Amino acid sequence: MVRQLTEIGNNYLRRCHAQVVRCGQAFRDWFQELRSPLVSQTRGVKLLREWLSPEQLTQYDATGYFHVIGSESGKRYRICHGTAMNIYEIDLAGNPRNGLCFVPNAPLVAGDVMLAQKIALETDERGALVVAKKFSPSASAFANTAIARQRVNRIG
Amino acid sequence: MATQIIMDRTGDTRHYFDAKDPQALLKAEERFKELTLVGFTAAVRTSPGEAALTRRFDPTAEETLFFPRLVGG
Repeated sequence: MVRQLTEIGNNYLRRCHAQVVRCGQAFRDWFQELRSPLVSQTRGVKLLREWLSPEQLTQYDATGYFHVIGSESGKRYRICHGTAMNIYEIDLAGNPRNGLCFVPNAPLVAGDVMLAQKIALETDERGALVVAKKFSPSASAFANTAIARQRVNRIG
Repeated sequence: MATQIIMDRTGDTRHYFDAKDPQALLKAEERFKELTLVGFTAAVRTSPGEAALTRRFDPTAEETLFFPRLVGG
C-alpha cells in the first residue's frame, strides 16, 4: 500500500517536473524572441558608433543624424537614423536639396544600414549615386529628425 | 587580434583571428573571398571615422567590415 502510494506520488512529481521544465523552456524562447530585435538594434548602433568620426558621433548623439562629405563631389549629405529614405543632400544653408535612397540588399538593422551608407558616400559616392533612387524631400522630412533622436535615445 | 565584421540581421557577426598565425590568416582570406564573391563590399578602417574600400584581402588590416551590396531603395 505504502509502496503504491509512493509510486503514485513519484509519478505525479515527475510529471509536474517535466511540465515545469517545458514551461520554463517556452518562457525562455518567448523572452529570447522578444528581446532579440532590441539586441540586434543595439549591436547595430554600437557598430555604427565605433566607425563614426568623433564629430559625426557628437552630431549623431545630439540630433539623431550625422553629415558626410561625398568622396567625389564634396557635397554634404545628412544621414538620418533609419533604414530607408533617410539620406538628404543638403546645401550650404543646411536645407535639403534631394532625398536619396539606397540600402544594403539584406535585412539589416538601422545602425548597419547607416554605416554602409556612410562608407559608400565617403569612399565611392559615384557608385552609391548610380544605384540610389531620388525622392523629393518634404518639409516634414527634417521634422523626422526629432523622431529619429527619440529612437536613438530608446536604443542607445 | 584582427577582426572581420560581417553585417547581418543580428547586427553583426565578428570573427577574431591572430594575424601572425598562418592557418588563421588563410581562413580569414578564404572568408574574405567567399564574402566578396557573393557581393559583399569590404572596407578597412584607416583612422577614426575613416574607411577605405578594399577588393583584396589585406593581412595587415586590424578591422575589416563587410556589408551587403547596395541597391536603390
